[in-house]
Amino acid sequence: MENLIYFTTAWLDPYLMLLTAIGTFAGIYVGAIPGLSVTMTVSILISFTFKWDVNDALALIAGIYVGGVYGGGRTAILLNIPGAPSAIATAFDGYPLAKKGLAGEAIGLTTVMSFIGGMVGVLTLAIAAPIISDFAIKFTSREYMLLGIIGVLLIGTLSGESFAKGAMAGALGVMIGMIGLDPMTAKARFTYGSINLMGGVPYIVAMIGFFGVTEALVQLDNLKLPYVKQKISKIIPNWSDVKKYFKLALKSAGLGTLIGALPGTGGDIAALIAYDQAKRTTKNPEVPFGSGAKEGIIAPETANNAAIGGAFIPMLTLGIPGDAVTAIIIGALYIHGLKPGPLLLIETPHLFWFIVGNLTLANIFLLIFGLTGVRIFTKIVECPKGILIPLIIVLSSIGAYAIQNNPIHIAWALGFGVFGYILKKYGFAVGPIILGVILGPMIDSNYRRVMMGADQNISQFFVDLVTNPISFVLVCFLLIMIGSQINFIRNKTLKFLR
Amino acid sequence: MASSKGWPYTISMNKSKKLRPGEKVFSFILIIFSAILFFESYKISGFSGLTTSGAMPMFASTLMLIASIFIFLETLKKDPKNKFNLLKVTQYLLPKQLIFFVSVVLIYVLAIPYFGFTLSSGTFLIISILSLWEKGIVWSLGVSIFSITIIYFLFRIIFQVILPLGSFWS
Repeated sequence: MENLIYFTTAWLDPYLMLLTAIGTFAGIYVGAIPGLSVTMTVSILISFTFKWDVNDALALIAGIYVGGVYGGGRTAILLNIPGAPSAIATAFDGYPLAKKGLAGEAIGLTTVMSFIGGMVGVLTLAIAAPIISDFAIKFTSREYMLLGIIGVLLIGTLSGESFAKGAMAGALGVMIGMIGLDPMTAKARFTYGSINLMGGVPYIVAMIGFFGVTEALVQLDNLKLPYVKQKISKIIPNWSDVKKYFKLALKSAGLGTLIGALPGTGGDIAALIAYDQAKRTTKNPEVPFGSGAKEGIIAPETANNAAIGGAFIPMLTLGIPGDAVTAIIIGALYIHGLKPGPLLLIETPHLFWFIVGNLTLANIFLLIFGLTGVRIFTKIVECPKGILIPLIIVLSSIGAYAIQNNPIHIAWALGFGVFGYILKKYGFAVGPIILGVILGPMIDSNYRRVMMGADQNISQFFVDLVTNPISFVLVCFLLIMIGSQINFIRNKTLKFLR
Repeated sequence: MASSKGWPYTISMNKSKKLRPGEKVFSFILIIFSAILFFESYKISGFSGLTTSGAMPMFASTLMLIASIFIFLETLKKDPKNKFNLLKVTQYLLPKQLIFFVSVVLIYVLAIPYFGFTLSSGTFLIISILSLWEKGIVWSLGVSIFSITIIYFLFRIIFQVILPLGSFWS
């Protein structure tokens, strides 16, 4: 009963409801405008909401998150430009549908399916998080160290061009996370006598740089990409279509939630894998995939919204972000004196149920805003990049400055942005860097605790890892993950399995 | 999803099989960069223990070094005959527009502490919108003033962020 009261907090407070609605509405546009991303917006916004009440901040951010993931799909359908990475797969069939004059129908269908996906994700969060949380109480430094390493390497394997590039980016992030005074010994690391570096690099500054400034510079390459206008007709989808694709939606939502729940993976990977899965399992699509198959827009759009609920699971139960946005939300919770992890559900159940209730509310707003105002929407998202890029820089500057009112952070954000741009040009993903920055200090402190427990004896350290059942499972997962990236091992395994 | 032959095996979303201009040199620079980071990590605590402040940076930089060597080997496989061409690299990595824009951003960042946020941002918006949008001075001026007014209202009034006023005026 108490949990139900916490669940409905955002539903009964008009101010929180308004913030969620504003967040969802703004999120749809932010996600849709190519060049603006949810991660960028949330990382900029978070620096302003530090002084707010935690519920207010979470209501706004949850709305932006839900709306933004959905919004990316709209421009993928209308303009063939995915507004967000999670909408890349939507463009494969969404744009061909729009060219056939079915843009309205495609948007309507993706809205309903995104809603279904979002609700499945939230429901899974509500059911799975308390169970995982109970289990995670048994976790020690060993397990947290291993989960941290898995998080950094997993995103490295799934994003960018190669595992080597992913691992390189993740390790670079860990190095950035090491800058400053060592919290265990107060010894300076990579500070070179600079007072500004003593406190370390605030990871929100790194995020603003790598996601905001980098994206703005990358967009300079596509400055003159013309927008193709589409005709919008009927938006409310046919009931028969919803019924027909419901099973696929549920399957994609399950897949999306699962992928979202893996530390370090988010909606972009969930959408691509769900698209691939739908393509392989749909036997007789009305239209072939790639030329306007409805299954091709339903699978990724359901999966990416379902991944939101999934991404909250490791964040709230283990304190490990499921994706880049939840990584920022973790920062916000820390600032407000809350510690995400297995004890969060025991010590602050109101916060957990508030997040669940808020995400549910945001999904309802998504359905309302998604099925209305599409015609005005097409005008707004055509915002010229010549205006958008300078605005991103100004907003990134305020965001970087506002964290500690320190102008040097603006320069750091710019530096990270230029560095991120060069890395992107050579096929590196910036996501692993951010995960490395966030998880690096966690891996470091837990590793040292485990090593101290093993009396600084390397063989004892490894024996400890494999003799404990939970850490043994995690070590196996880590080895499989790395092994699957090595061609020789992979081929031998496949041959053996065959 | 595509896969590549040889180590490291990749699950790739957008694998580029062609060698990008300057990629080989860049991956070699990464090896040097990683080696420097390893040396800097070593300087923290040396090999004095496994739980010292320098242990994790040394692990991370070793991983960087190993990964960068594999990245370099990967680039060698892509197109062994490709020769370094500075002009092509510059065109690919640093097009004129980017150099101009980053320079403007740099001046903007340096100007904020002296001239304050509002004036610096307003000027930055006018210059960059004028150069990137190419719709003429009137439109650029109008959009810039409108944008900076909204930004000021939103961040100073609503979010109550204390924006830098600038030492030049005090």
